[in-house]
Amino acid sequence: MNILKLKKIRKHFNGVLALDNLSLDIKAEGITGIVGPNGSGKTTLINILSGCESLDGGTIIIDDSLRSKKMRAYENSIFGITRTFQEIRLFEQMTVLDNVLVVLTEKNVLGAIFEKHGEYHLMKAEELLKVVNLWEKRNELAINLSYGQRKLLEITRALSTDAKIYLFDEPFAGLFPEMIKTVMKIIKKLKEEGKTVILVEHNMLLMRELCDEIVVMDNGKLLSKGKPEEVLNKKKVLDVYLGK
Amino acid sequence: MDMLTQIIFNSLIAGAIYALVALGFNLIYGATKFFNFAHGSIAIAGGYATFYFNKILGVDVYLSVLLGILCAGFLGYISNKLVFSPLRKKKSSHMIFMVASLGILIVIQAVISLIFTSEFQTLSSSLASSKKYIFLTGIITKTQLILFLSVLLIMGLLVLVLKKTMLGKTISAISDSEEIARNIGINSNRVISYVFVIGSAIAGVAGIFVGFDTGISPTMGMSLLLKGVIASIIGGVGNVYGGVLAAFMLGLIENFGVWNFSGEWKDAISFAVLILFLLFRPQGMFGKK
Ligand SMILES: Nc1ncnc2c1ncn2[C@@H]1O[C@H](COP(=O)(O)OP(=O)(O)OP(=O)(O)O)[C@@H](O)[C@H]1O
Ligand SMILES: [Mg+2]
Repeated sequence: MNILKLKKIRKHFNGVLALDNLSLDIKAEGITGIVGPNGSGKTTLINILSGCESLDGGTIIIDDSLRSKKMRAYENSIFGITRTFQEIRLFEQMTVLDNVLVVLTEKNVLGAIFEKHGEYHLMKAEELLKVVNLWEKRNELAINLSYGQRKLLEITRALSTDAKIYLFDEPFAGLFPEMIKTVMKIIKKLKEEGKTVILVEHNMLLMRELCDEIVVMDNGKLLSKGKPEEVLNKKKVLDVYLGK
Repeated sequence: MDMLTQIIFNSLIAGAIYALVALGFNLIYGATKFFNFAHGSIAIAGGYATFYFNKILGVDVYLSVLLGILCAGFLGYISNKLVFSPLRKKKSSHMIFMVASLGILIVIQAVISLIFTSEFQTLSSSLASSKKYIFLTGIITKTQLILFLSVLLIMGLLVLVLKKTMLGKTISAISDSEEIARNIGINSNRVISYVFVIGSAIAGVAGIFVGFDTGISPTMGMSLLLKGVIASIIGGVGNVYGGVLAAFMLGLIENFGVWNFSGEWKDAISFAVLILFLLFRPQGMFGKK
């Protein structure tokens, strides 16, 4: 079953066509990798899917419901979408714990005026932060963490939302091997739980190991799509990568 | 009666009012990052609303105070809904927000003058039983005592909401980065609209208390706002406790200054303090940089 259907989506930034009539189906309950040279539109695709950027044209169907062109990022949760960013985005002046708790709150802000975070929220945050070894650091400000810890915290924040679709933009970039293993475990576990993961990553070894399917993008267009071992050996794919 | 104790009492009352203005201003500034000139006039509008209900319609004084606070909160809500929220959608610059808020200030002032004339109005005789208590060696009226205690209560409540509740966390997240909050799925527009309601309602309390303490006039909003802003700059913008402490400090400096010089110097003293801080400690007394 395809959980995401993109039909001829278009996005341009003053003259640059970042997404050029891209049509793409993404299978539910698996890991789809997106690769492509720098500037090929991978991040733009993630931005569009998460509502962080608006669409110029085309349609997106999520789980059989049409997503309106003007969907805002905060409406993500309605469609069960969450994401991380290529350039880490945390609430720097908030604690590690609060960075996670804050996304658990949104559903009913008015009701939450006089409500502390529930016991359930705290337990969930604890469980998630322990996976990435950040529970001990829960009272530190996010700005005081190391690069890798910040990356892990951002992933943890995404995990706490209970989404169906997880968009990760280069979650391994700049991580030490130990942390890479942690993130791999997290992503594999999401798959076991029946979630859909979309992963942008330049490291082909990791992509081969993780992905069920690989999408290759070039210049905002779909170049190739299929099983990792097929796609990553295709001549035109190699040309795009080696040719740059 | 001891002059010194009396000055300290007066300073505490002034400080409490400035603290309320600073609290509301800080809250809104934190979430939206623009200088909201309308804030002071909304405070004064709260005072006038109470005056209207109590003195003109004859509503019970406590109920009138409540209605005044609600009116101020509502003004904050519609100023955001009709002006600031559309500007945010258009990604307008801070300068445009500022000018727009000046516009709102002028409109509110004009409407108040039209309805109530530009004369000084006072709410004080409303608490007819304005008993005087002799405290230590100074005199504090019942109104002033209620005022002071309510300010402490409101500050306590606000700090509790900000530090302990989920709404508070969401507000801190938006103050940290509205863009990130929006992009990770927080409905920042809605939260900002709560912030306007809460911040303006708190300002309304300040305006009402000015009405009880010294009386209000339509154009008082600006100087009231500036006192709150001075407090929040001295306390370190965005620092709740700092702003409150600085507000009381400002009250003290002003009142001691007035004692030494004369009443006309009051505002000049506040601004001198502000300029000293801007020159030598722009991050504020307790500033987070
Ligand atoms: N906000 C923006 N404003 C202007 N141009 C943009 C913007 N975002 C992306 N672009 C342009 O769109 C194109 C696609 O960029 P995008 O970031 O999606 O590439 P990418 O595949 O993620 O690259 P990388 O591997 O370097 O992360 C690039 O030419 C980029 O310069
Ligand atoms: Mg990218």
